[in-house]
Amino acid sequence: MKMSKRILILVIAVVAVFSFGVSAQAEVYKIGLSLAITGPTSDAGAPYAKGVEDYFRYVNDNKLLGNDTIEPMIRDDQYKTDITKRNFEEFLDEGMEFYLNYSTGSTLALKRDFDEEKIPVVPASMDAGNLIDSTYIFLPTTSYSDQTLGVAEYVVRNHKGGVPKVAMFIHPSAFGRAPVEDVKKAVEAGLKMEIVEVVEHGTDLDNTAMLQRLMSKGVQYVLCQTVQSPVATLVKDAERLGLIASRFGEEKKLTFLGAHYTGGNDLILLAGSAAEGFYWATSFNLTSEPGEGTTFVLDLAKKYGRDDQTANSHNYTAGTTVAQIATEVIKRAKAKKKEITRDNLYAEITAMNGANALNAKTTVGPITYSKTDRKGVDLLQIYSVQKGVFKAVGKPFEPGAAFKTKK
Amino acid sequence: MSYFLQLVVSGIVVGSIYALSGLGFVLIYKSSRVLNIAHGQIIATGAFITYALTVWVGIPLYISFFVSMVLTFFLAMSVERIFLRRLIGEPIISVIMVTIGLMSILDGIIYLTPFGGYNYSFPDFFPKTPINMGPVSISWTQMVGVIVTFTLIFLFTWFFKKSTVGISMRAVSDDQLASMSIGISVPHVFGLAWAMAGLSAAAAGGIIGNITGLNFETLHAFGIIVFPVVILGGLDSIIGAVVAGIIMGLIQQFASGYLDGKWGLSGTAEVLPYIILLIILLFKPHGLFGTHEIERV
Amino acid sequence: MSANRWLATGNFFSSYKEEQRIFFTHLDRLLFCVLLAVLFIWPLVYEVSNKYMLVLDNILIAMVAIIGLNLVTGFAGLISIGHAAFVGVGAYTLAVFARTIGDSHVLITHAWPLMLIVSGAVGAVFGAFVGLPALRLKHLYLAIATLSFQMIFQWTINFFPLFNQGQTIPVGRVYWFTGMVSRGDHYLFWYYVALVIVIVFGLAVRNLLRTRYGRSLVAVRDNDRAADAMGMNPGLTKVYAFALAGFFAGVAGALHAYLYRGAGIESFTLAQSISYLAMAIVGGLGTLTGSFFGPAAIRMLDLQVENMVEWMKQFLPAAMNLATAFKPLTFGLVIVLFLMFEPRGIANWWRICRTYVKLWPFRY
Repeated sequence: MKMSKRILILVIAVVAVFSFGVSAQAEVYKIGLSLAITGPTSDAGAPYAKGVEDYFRYVNDNKLLGNDTIEPMIRDDQYKTDITKRNFEEFLDEGMEFYLNYSTGSTLALKRDFDEEKIPVVPASMDAGNLIDSTYIFLPTTSYSDQTLGVAEYVVRNHKGGVPKVAMFIHPSAFGRAPVEDVKKAVEAGLKMEIVEVVEHGTDLDNTAMLQRLMSKGVQYVLCQTVQSPVATLVKDAERLGLIASRFGEEKKLTFLGAHYTGGNDLILLAGSAAEGFYWATSFNLTSEPGEGTTFVLDLAKKYGRDDQTANSHNYTAGTTVAQIATEVIKRAKAKKKEITRDNLYAEITAMNGANALNAKTTVGPITYSKTDRKGVDLLQIYSVQKGVFKAVGKPFEPGAAFKTKK
Repeated sequence: MSYFLQLVVSGIVVGSIYALSGLGFVLIYKSSRVLNIAHGQIIATGAFITYALTVWVGIPLYISFFVSMVLTFFLAMSVERIFLRRLIGEPIISVIMVTIGLMSILDGIIYLTPFGGYNYSFPDFFPKTPINMGPVSISWTQMVGVIVTFTLIFLFTWFFKKSTVGISMRAVSDDQLASMSIGISVPHVFGLAWAMAGLSAAAAGGIIGNITGLNFETLHAFGIIVFPVVILGGLDSIIGAVVAGIIMGLIQQFASGYLDGKWGLSGTAEVLPYIILLIILLFKPHGLFGTHEIERV
Repeated sequence: MSANRWLATGNFFSSYKEEQRIFFTHLDRLLFCVLLAVLFIWPLVYEVSNKYMLVLDNILIAMVAIIGLNLVTGFAGLISIGHAAFVGVGAYTLAVFARTIGDSHVLITHAWPLMLIVSGAVGAVFGAFVGLPALRLKHLYLAIATLSFQMIFQWTINFFPLFNQGQTIPVGRVYWFTGMVSRGDHYLFWYYVALVIVIVFGLAVRNLLRTRYGRSLVAVRDNDRAADAMGMNPGLTKVYAFALAGFFAGVAGALHAYLYRGAGIESFTLAQSISYLAMAIVGGLGTLTGSFFGPAAIRMLDLQVENMVEWMKQFLPAAMNLATAFKPLTFGLVIVLFLMFEPRGIANWWRICRTYVKLWPFRY
């Protein structure tokens, strides 16, 4: 008994000693990122963190900022707002001038702190609520509402015969519910679509009853705003029942569409052949559609030793994109010989429009910001799964262009 | 009408998976009076081991299913040996807290492996076509799940009723001192109970993994849903776990089938098990089949 | 021979009143006052970064909640796995006020002590309600009933738009006699408020345990049938215990909402309940000093693990996932190790140290 008590004390002492041996070398520009590397949504967070980290390493290694380097401070907050706030305070203490956040909950919770600290923030959360009552939050791309609206418009444009009947399949939280309101408003403003039912899922093991109910009500399209796992279960059940449409809008079948976080290679991984014919709206370039941006991303991943799954994940691409935005803003401020302070960075980022738009290679359109337009990429691209790979369908378009009524 | 039948069949299918998850829980409580809060993590471990054996080592699914059951058997037994052996005789709060600590430890270990962060899905093993029984349809995986559940339950019930080891386990759960005086090794019985719980947990994990894909967060939730099921059935009754599992599955399906959407309700299937749990606790705390504890002064 | 009131030796009692003193020696009392003075003065002397101030505030708020949890689980023996729900009730009371009357309304910003008490009262009502099953259930079943309350609470918050469906409801900054508490002073201000509340509650509970009610709590825990036979009402005692725990937790919740300037569901989940239980146990169940050590130990452990992870990242940069898996691992390991080797918690170590110091140079 005594021996083990001594061991316990020794362990505690060792841990206490290690806590004092930590002081980060002070590099020049500090950018903070607090996200969920473990815990909920970590399957999206882990590649995102790697994307951010790798791009900053690329910047430092290739001296894109001359002799200055960027030091990313990446912390795991396990999706808990309390820990995010603590990390944020710590980053501020370390002298951070630009912040990258992750979860919707914490971005909304820290809105006022961002305004009080006057620090520009680019979160991974594309919730439209982030833009209300805030001046310093800049979404990287279109919001979830835009993406859901985009797929809704795609449905209306390509549906043949009458008014399409649509059901919505959403996550049981504010993340899922936010776009529903905006889609309903668009329908009232004239989008020719009928929303038959809005289903909030739980940890369903079996969606058969729900699918049969939707079929009996004549639903042809299911818009999803949730994460990949429930969508995978849903489409697998639909495949088993033989309900998946083999071409868009096939009669008496269901065509599944989804916003940014529903898709990606993880969906194909989880759902297998059931993901065939899934339509996905996002503003990022995918590695399955080779181009200059995707080659860059793949090379980056290979250079820093990331496995294939990470390299092909759209979250990795998203991470590199926000890192690009941060780097670009700092680069422009430096070029104008301005000091790197929050106000100057804010001025630079709001000037990023028109001729100054950032043509990031990883997105489908240019990233534009101004004091009134705080969504980076305004264009959206629809992809669909063909033979197990996401392929682009049509050209990038601006969602809600015809319905700029009650925005 | 066919909608109702579909709900019933889905309920039975989902319920038997709940029953299988609850089975291990009941086994542990029955012999050692320990509430195993870490059961969800053991289910997840079983699922991951099955996946690793199937995909990384290359064994066909039905063999790796059994191998993973054996491996989890030993894993659970060693867990009991290392952590819980010291706590025989301590107050119940300590034992519950140790299982909670165990839950965190297993969490951490799973995050150390790639399973914690990434999603995986089993390769297709069964034919994709559904089994149609009239207006109702279920998938092959679900059918296999039901069959495995009932087989295991049948085996366990036979084991407890007829085999010597099983009877000695029942003796230990009844009165530890008396069974020690007969010569039954109580620590061995505890280890065996945990090992058998690990076995059924691996089976449950394998089936759940096939249906929902391997996402650690989803598997987490099963550790919590198991509570209403076993309380409803009675903490120390195997038959209770089965019956309660199926009832819970049915109630969830009916709730999401009929209640969701009306009066603005949604997600009722999530909360209904806990409301039922509360009601059962207030009126019949020992559940449908549990043994009634009578306190004597 | 006159009693020596300064040291432990030569200190004998000559009346019952003397035996009931909290501080047996003047030295004890002096040391306690010095400790209090240090706690109040050190932030003015030694500058601490915002992050550590936030952590300290968090620890103090957790202490308030754990005092309540210790009361119900340690002294009354009623296992409660739903304590975060009580804390959440307090926080959401404040948040509902903020949502309905505006988050910078006078009541919230100027009359915040009143709001703290109101949140505590609502927490007490909720606690009494949750304690009602205690009239019929024992031990394990009561624990599971509290678990189900926790899950129902979570679902309710996620469902009703009144609670913003789980998203953060913002709360404004408060005013003190010198004007609005600005961002720079925010953490320091709430440190003092939380410290005062911890001290007041700590003294209150210490006195409570010396009264008839405190003794009946312990009697009910040890053998409630015998307590019933002796004329106490075990059912009512248990409900009161829950109500008290609910009050403390409600105040802690309101403090939490003020400190983070908002209330969101993620701070009051099952994982948080488990964390509170861990704090109570590691600190020492059934002791008042345990409620102070437990939260400090667990939160500091969290921080140290983060520091260790940062340090490890310098050697294993590509292994971020590996490093951050250490948090739940160490949390679980600490709980299990404490329960296996020191089930009476850190308070036991403290007791041993204190007796050693008190009796020195004697051995016993």
